[in-house]
Amino acid sequence: MKELSLNILDIAENSVKAGASLTEITIEEDERFLTLIIKDDGCGMTEDILKTVTDPFYTTRTTRKVGMGLPLLKMEAEITGGSMEITSKSEKEYPDSHGTQVTARFCKTHIDFTPLGDVSASIVTLIQGHPDTDFLFTHKLPGKTVSLDTRELRQVLEGVPLNSYEIIKWIESYLDEQYQNQEESQ
Amino acid sequence: MTVAELCKQAGFKAEVLPDPDREISGVYIGDLLSWVMGRANSGDVWITIMSNNNILAVASLADTACILVAEDVALESELLKTAEEKGINVLLTDKSIYDAAVTISKLI
Repeated sequence: MKELSLNILDIAENSVKAGASLTEITIEEDERFLTLIIKDDGCGMTEDILKTVTDPFYTTRTTRKVGMGLPLLKMEAEITGGSMEITSKSEKEYPDSHGTQVTARFCKTHIDFTPLGDVSASIVTLIQGHPDTDFLFTHKLPGKTVSLDTRELRQVLEGVPLNSYEIIKWIESYLDEQYQNQEESQ
Repeated sequence: MTVAELCKQAGFKAEVLPDPDREISGVYIGDLLSWVMGRANSGDVWITIMSNNNILAVASLADTACILVAEDVALESELLKTAEEKGINVLLTDKSIYDAAVTISKLI
């Protein structure tokens, strides 16, 4: 995709569709590498399904459960000399510890590295579209960490929906401020 | 014009041609697969330099008439085998993307 932030949106939507109550989105960046981890506590997948999710044709059936998101993310990571892996535990087999984790590693210095783009906008879009599930966003940059935990917000808000206009605006500026502080400290 | 006729007249190499009589209605050019997926039209000749298996899924989703891989990019047998199975026309040319497009433009 044109920006990694769109991949993040796409993969996290899979987590929500899998019934996740908490989706953890972590980006770890240093000078050379960017690692993206999306981890959820959704229904997970059996090993048989897991084998097929990066097969683009499995996903293009009319009854498809996931989009082209994983095959594309894998390709984009591999183009830069990086890699992608998925681990999953299905709810049936692991009733107490089910969920899926997607880890993609990119070499930022490769000329075909897709820029990260507006990741704050992706996070806001996710919260806006799914105000009743929780997201933990962490972006670790050299010397600074940007984070947002909707569980903490929920505690403070005492029942005010997360997708109400004022809250969304507040989340936007909260993330922006953290990124700006990052720039100043560099 | 059909894909088979295009191959003959433009001198493109038909690597896999399971649907030779498919009509061509236009051309789309792009290498960013997610972008192509949403923008290529049904019946287009899609010109690209990408050559992994994902291009077959994209061509299938966008219902393009064929994929034209330009610049003589090497195609793996795995890709050609899958294309045959899925009924997707794959052509190859040593022309640049621009020259391939110009050639098609003169014909259709």
